[in-house]
Amino acid sequence: MINQKKIDEWIHEVEERPASAALIIQYIANRLSELASREEELAAQNIELLSGRKVDEYESRIANLEYQLELLKRQLGGEINFPIEMPANKPRIETVNLLVFNPLGLVMRGEMNQAELASGQTITRISGGEPLGDMRPSILVTPSQEELLLLFDSGRTLTLPVSQLPLLSLEKLDWQQASIYEPSVKEELAAIHPIAKMSLYETCIQVSRRGFVKKFKTSFLATHITEKYIGTGVKLPADKTCGLTFANKSELFVMVSQEGYIFSMQADQLPVAIEEVIHLGITDHIVSTFITGSKPSLLFITQNGKAVHREVRWIEPASSFRTKGQAMLSKERRDAGTRLVGAAAVDEADWGVILHSDGTLTVHNLGELLAAGSVAAGNQNTSILCFSGFHMPERKG
Amino acid sequence: MGLHVGIDFGTSNSGVGIYQNNQVHVLPIDSKNIVPEVVKTILYITSDYKHFIGQEAVELYYKQNINRQRRFVKKWTGEIDYHGADMHYVRDVYVYMDELQPGRLMQFIKTALRSEKYVGTQVFDRFYSLSDIISTYLQLLKQHAEGLLHEEISGVTLGRPVKFSQVPELDQKAQTTLHQAALEAGFKQVDFELEPVAAALYYELSLNKPQNVLIFDFGGGTLDLTILRLGDPHLRKVYASGGIGIAGSDFDRAIIQKRMLTHFGKGLVQHDPEILNLIHTIPDWAALPELSTPRAKADLERAIHANQAPVKLKALESLIFNDLAFSFYNMIESTKINLSDTGVTIARMKEKNLDIWELYTRSQFEKDIQEHREQIQNVLMDTVYASGMEPDQIDAVVKTGGSSNIPIFTEMLNAIFGADKVKSSDVFNSVTAGLAIKAQQNS
Repeated sequence: MINQKKIDEWIHEVEERPASAALIIQYIANRLSELASREEELAAQNIELLSGRKVDEYESRIANLEYQLELLKRQLGGEINFPIEMPANKPRIETVNLLVFNPLGLVMRGEMNQAELASGQTITRISGGEPLGDMRPSILVTPSQEELLLLFDSGRTLTLPVSQLPLLSLEKLDWQQASIYEPSVKEELAAIHPIAKMSLYETCIQVSRRGFVKKFKTSFLATHITEKYIGTGVKLPADKTCGLTFANKSELFVMVSQEGYIFSMQADQLPVAIEEVIHLGITDHIVSTFITGSKPSLLFITQNGKAVHREVRWIEPASSFRTKGQAMLSKERRDAGTRLVGAAAVDEADWGVILHSDGTLTVHNLGELLAAGSVAAGNQNTSILCFSGFHMPERKG
Repeated sequence: MGLHVGIDFGTSNSGVGIYQNNQVHVLPIDSKNIVPEVVKTILYITSDYKHFIGQEAVELYYKQNINRQRRFVKKWTGEIDYHGADMHYVRDVYVYMDELQPGRLMQFIKTALRSEKYVGTQVFDRFYSLSDIISTYLQLLKQHAEGLLHEEISGVTLGRPVKFSQVPELDQKAQTTLHQAALEAGFKQVDFELEPVAAALYYELSLNKPQNVLIFDFGGGTLDLTILRLGDPHLRKVYASGGIGIAGSDFDRAIIQKRMLTHFGKGLVQHDPEILNLIHTIPDWAALPELSTPRAKADLERAIHANQAPVKLKALESLIFNDLAFSFYNMIESTKINLSDTGVTIARMKEKNLDIWELYTRSQFEKDIQEHREQIQNVLMDTVYASGMEPDQIDAVVKTGGSSNIPIFTEMLNAIFGADKVKSSDVFNSVTAGLAIKAQQNS
């Protein structure tokens, strides 16, 4: 507290040593400026309190916690009774669902019959895609009891359980029958993410097509979800958000570009503000992001059907941002037009679904795919559009 | 037969020196310190009884302690016998222990030698006597020095102030404790030299004719004054010596008492003895860390809840329960040091719930330590007159020790003896260097 006595003492100092005057003024000016900004902060907080916004914020936090509780309930397959007792003899009815979606917000859901899946099998051919032109579709394989986050490139989000998406017959997937989660004007559906287990992770990483990244705590993501807005996650006007990845702090985050450049870094070293972590060529963009977790292998799929295998330890984590990235494809192959369409950290028991340019969807055991080195199924004249790996749930007796 | 070194075991800083090949070498013991030849007299003991000194101790302390979690558990510590006129009963005594405490930091160890009452302290499950604490510190100094010299050190010449205490029995007891600690640390031969005399030996190297010299050794714990004839090793003579237990740490305490307590509720809290007791414990570096008990927490929360200077008491809570005491004392010491170079500085500390900003001037500081200044001037004049000389018969005044750089004392010496006679020695190393010379003579 500054009082008259102190001021008198300062004046006394100036009388004794005039050189101190300038310093005193400088220190007080700095302090005044610091206090002014602090006062502004406090005034803003006061307005929030008076306007009831703070109350809204706390209500929203409560709603968010309730929401997470709801997610946990869904995972456990029913109401939670405290103390929680797991239903010992009540098997969960969980199937493997295939989602196909495109930037226009068209989403199709089919159910894959686990018992009948065989590696290399063509599971269906999607029809009705011609009018969609170059709206490149994406695929996601997810358990039926998942919760989904639909992420639009404007930063808007939408959540819904998988089961709420209309179920189509897998044999007759047709874009004309797809559900429409219509984006607003100038908005595209960037990605769909399973989020039921997000509370098990510490960090959420938002990635843009041009290699910009930001991380935030998953608890913040829950708030964003409640607000139905996560932020665009881009800096450049031409850039678009392209996905989210959940990670724990010590896990290795990997990002793969279409031209075969890889950026990897431990999650806790990633920036909290949007930052260009990999400097991509002008024609390049990110196609896959994932964490390596406990998986031993990495699988890269090229548009011409090659399945390239690397061990996780092959990856060289970056020590700084704006790196060029670790090259996966040789210059010759890149110049010859080879491009990556997807990548994932996998083990031999995992499975993957591949969408070919003629609409064919094939399913593969990744152990066999890694051994074979190429995608055998599908028409030789077609290229591969995208790839999604998944872990097959254990088949119930 | 091992080497014989000189050790300046100071209140704030220590050092090790050796005289080899006709040269004094002050060893770079603390490679992590900005000045490696100076080791902070700080000991950190971890919960698994590993010991660290100097900058390494400080860094580990910060790493393990600041804003850490606490978990208090009730532990049985003993029993008390109650004897009444017609009754006798025994009661168990429990204390609350923080079982997550990762270690214990000790500083100003040398000051404890001046204390009549201090015998040692409990560190987790072990009791460390004062001799144990000092021997642990000296042992680590010895190990570091042996690592640098690649040879065993068997003997040491330790510096000691002219008077640990004005009471002769306490003075003798302090030297005995230090001697015992050095033996426990592994030195086979231990001898002592007065610190100001050691500083004089180093100064003597620069002389080409005999002089009457006043050594003004003003460190972290004591002021030691010695007037002696230097310049001819065969005719070296001590005319008088004196001193007083006032030094750097007392000035820090004065700053806290006069300028800092208002930041923690002094003047605003009244009629609340528990809280006032907490506030008035702040200047006591040894007691402050001990305040982090559930009882103190409950007292503070009660007072804050009653809207009794809530912002100041939140700051006090943060100081006590976020292990900020060490940072706080460091900040005070830096503020004091800054005022040696400039007329104005800012005492600044910003942590969770704690925001200290205090514009502090040299004239304020001089006012705050005025009482100490007068005491020091009296002791100085007493020592000069005890030597049988007048101030103008002193040929040179050699300042050494960190506190000797405080301008008010330089001005005092200039006024008494004349500015041309007042000389600055290497404030941290001159005693170490002199002890190294003495060690060579004693070996």
